[in-house]
Amino acid sequence: MEGIKMSSSKSIMSTHIFSTDHKTIGKQFLFLGIFFLLFGGFQALLIRWQLAYPEQPVPWWLLGFIINGEAGMITPDVYNQLFTMHGTIMIFWAITPLLIGAFGNFLIPLQIGAKDMAFPTLNMLSFWTFFLSGVVLLSAYFLPTGAASGGWTSYPPLSLPAGGIPGLGQAFWTLSITLMGVATMMGAINYVITVIRLRAPGMTYFRMPLSVWGLWLTSILNVIFVPVIAAGLIMLLIDQLLGTQFFLAGRLAAGGGGDPLLFQHVFWIFGHPEVYILILPVWGIVSELLSVFSRKPAFGAKVTVICMSTIVVLSSIVWGHHMYTTGMSPLLGKTFMFLTLLISIPSSIFFFNWLATLWRGSLHFDPPMLHTMAVIWVFAIGGLTGLYNATVTADIYLHDTMFVVGHFHYTMAASVLFGGYAAIAHWYPRMFGRMLNPLLSKIHFWGTFITINLVFFNMMVTGYAGQHRRLYYPGEFEFLQPLADMNIFITIMAFFLGAFQILFLYNFIHSMLKGKVAENNPWKANTLEWTMDYPIPHGNFSTIPQVVNGPHEYSNPNIKDADWVCQTVKIEGDS
Amino acid sequence: MGKIKKYLPGIWFLDPPKDISLDGYRIDNVIQYTDFVITLYFGIVVAALIFFIWRYNARKHPHAVYDLGNTKKHRYLTIAMGLLVFFSIDVVIETMSFKDLKEAFWKFPKGEKVVRIEIMPQQYAWNIRYPGEDDIFGTDDDIVPPQNILHIPVNTPIVVQLTTYDVIHSFYLPNFRYKQDATPGMVTAMWFQATETGNFEFACAELCGNSHFKMKGYLTVESEEDFNGWIAAQDPEVSEEDEEDDWGDEEADEGVPTQWGWLWKELK
Repeated sequence: MEGIKMSSSKSIMSTHIFSTDHKTIGKQFLFLGIFFLLFGGFQALLIRWQLAYPEQPVPWWLLGFIINGEAGMITPDVYNQLFTMHGTIMIFWAITPLLIGAFGNFLIPLQIGAKDMAFPTLNMLSFWTFFLSGVVLLSAYFLPTGAASGGWTSYPPLSLPAGGIPGLGQAFWTLSITLMGVATMMGAINYVITVIRLRAPGMTYFRMPLSVWGLWLTSILNVIFVPVIAAGLIMLLIDQLLGTQFFLAGRLAAGGGGDPLLFQHVFWIFGHPEVYILILPVWGIVSELLSVFSRKPAFGAKVTVICMSTIVVLSSIVWGHHMYTTGMSPLLGKTFMFLTLLISIPSSIFFFNWLATLWRGSLHFDPPMLHTMAVIWVFAIGGLTGLYNATVTADIYLHDTMFVVGHFHYTMAASVLFGGYAAIAHWYPRMFGRMLNPLLSKIHFWGTFITINLVFFNMMVTGYAGQHRRLYYPGEFEFLQPLADMNIFITIMAFFLGAFQILFLYNFIHSMLKGKVAENNPWKANTLEWTMDYPIPHGNFSTIPQVVNGPHEYSNPNIKDADWVCQTVKIEGDS
Repeated sequence: MGKIKKYLPGIWFLDPPKDISLDGYRIDNVIQYTDFVITLYFGIVVAALIFFIWRYNARKHPHAVYDLGNTKKHRYLTIAMGLLVFFSIDVVIETMSFKDLKEAFWKFPKGEKVVRIEIMPQQYAWNIRYPGEDDIFGTDDDIVPPQNILHIPVNTPIVVQLTTYDVIHSFYLPNFRYKQDATPGMVTAMWFQATETGNFEFACAELCGNSHFKMKGYLTVESEEDFNGWIAAQDPEVSEEDEEDDWGDEEADEGVPTQWGWLWKELK
């Protein structure tokens, strides 16, 4: 711990831009994540506009004047770029920095009682590599042929020059994701080692807050699976730029070629764990916050941890359920279905633990708790609807339809969004020393909760009615024409959903400047990050704390005059 | 359901396209069972949430009960819940699904009566090929109707083999609840059987480029006599050039050489 050098020069460059302080880096990730979240959300609204009003030019309030094309209309190639970049940005540049980058950085050292990350300089390098990858990604918009349009999965041969997409957009896409992988890898190694090496004395693994558990398991998955996608992407990149044929076959390939299915396997060997990489921090944060706001220990915390770890292992052997319709061998299809369904055992166990934490608690419905409860709701829907997609026969019909789109927006978009908002609302006072406006927070919460369900649930409805994905104009098909009203309804709800996020942005910025100054521990939480005065200095703890309790000693009958106790304070009468 | 639908503004409870296949009901059944059982479980979760919010909010219940939930009893209870979910949902749908795969979807029909078709999608059209009189693919008497036109006889098993001319496409038959990818370098197979005559659409379900949304095919299901008459009226080996604008993609505009058929891949 003595190895950490406190920066002596106090210039803005070293304290705010190229800072090695994990708290500053966390905030940098948070701001960048929110920027990309809004950008990706704006693209989603343009996609919805096209699906609902295909014949009409984009209005000025959706910035229609920036759309190149005939009279402000979205053309098919622009539409394909929109959904490709929407998916890519939301997964890799919005969710990843918001939960893993921002809260991984901010929370891990503070909650385990460390002065900083194990490798502070690597941590800074991770953020700036990530920033660079975002620049490469967005610079594709300035290419004459525009950004990538091969879908966020970027399946070859479509994503190769032979697939017919002109220009360098696809290569920029591949390069930027590879860079993003490098940044993620630097962060993930840092998180894993920090948790293993820098826990304060007495902070055993099972005394770590569940939020740290979630972030740690996510980082372990990242360390294992980011190299897999990096290998696949580098092969794709040299296919794209140098004309090799790893993923090209059939007529387009000269002399035999390679195998397009290989890319799908490599993509999903990473891609399915990626779903859990995105959701595990949320599970951890939800498990932790339910305990704080129920004033009650997290029910069966150890079992929850074991379940999450089991899912980490299972998540790495189920990727084939994304490929049921590729013509894989029947034996493989059955095996992947069985393995996928096994995940529902640990999932339902920790889900039951969440509900049991609420049981006989004393529930305080502050904004973080509202968002946390919303995660229970949306994750229940998202998890249960996954059963259709895991079933080989049901998936033959539902695969590549809007049903799948609705389903993964429930698990990834809705769950992660509410988890992220819960985390922001909860730790905002620690990050910025002020409180978010509770009234605006509640309006934002209810508006988001109602509209997000109407959007994503009805997407599943249209998929069940047959609408397949990535359609520029569904009305082209007669069997999809009855869905026109529903598509308009979803779009209107999506606009409301977007409007409520503007309210959040206003609250986020306004409270930073003018919000109520926060006390040191406004939620009366036990964990270590609440023990010091704001602003938390570089190095966090003046002396490394000695931990004597688990993180969930709420309403312990041996505590006098309070229903909480800091992890460093011994409870009299406890064995 | 029928009654509820009448009073709602028409956009709720949309039905899937009409099922006109022999085995589509199996997929509808497994979806309906899943609907039922997950609605039940979700209902329980929501009921529990509402009850907890009402009964245990801080105003009504200011002192939480200190309960770590780590006794043996608690552990057995949670594990029992996990297993209950697994056996009531997962094992049931898995059994249904495996049975359907074994009895229908992966049990390819054999014999004289089977109609065999080769389909090769390209950006952005469907090339279709029948074996012709000699019943062998890749010969001069193969029947190649105009692009995007697929005719099949009713009540007859149809086996389709697929590959692709360029990128990955997916042969999607909404009225049969079925889709199968067409991947470069490999031949994939599927089979289905229609139970009703009429005109239907099929689509490409895998993103294949800018005009993916236009990649529509026209399926005519007709009686065996009509089908045989239609086949007889087709000239052998007439592959029409794709007249549509392919968004500047020159390669696709070249049209497909007429001799694209492959020797039928015998399935084990």
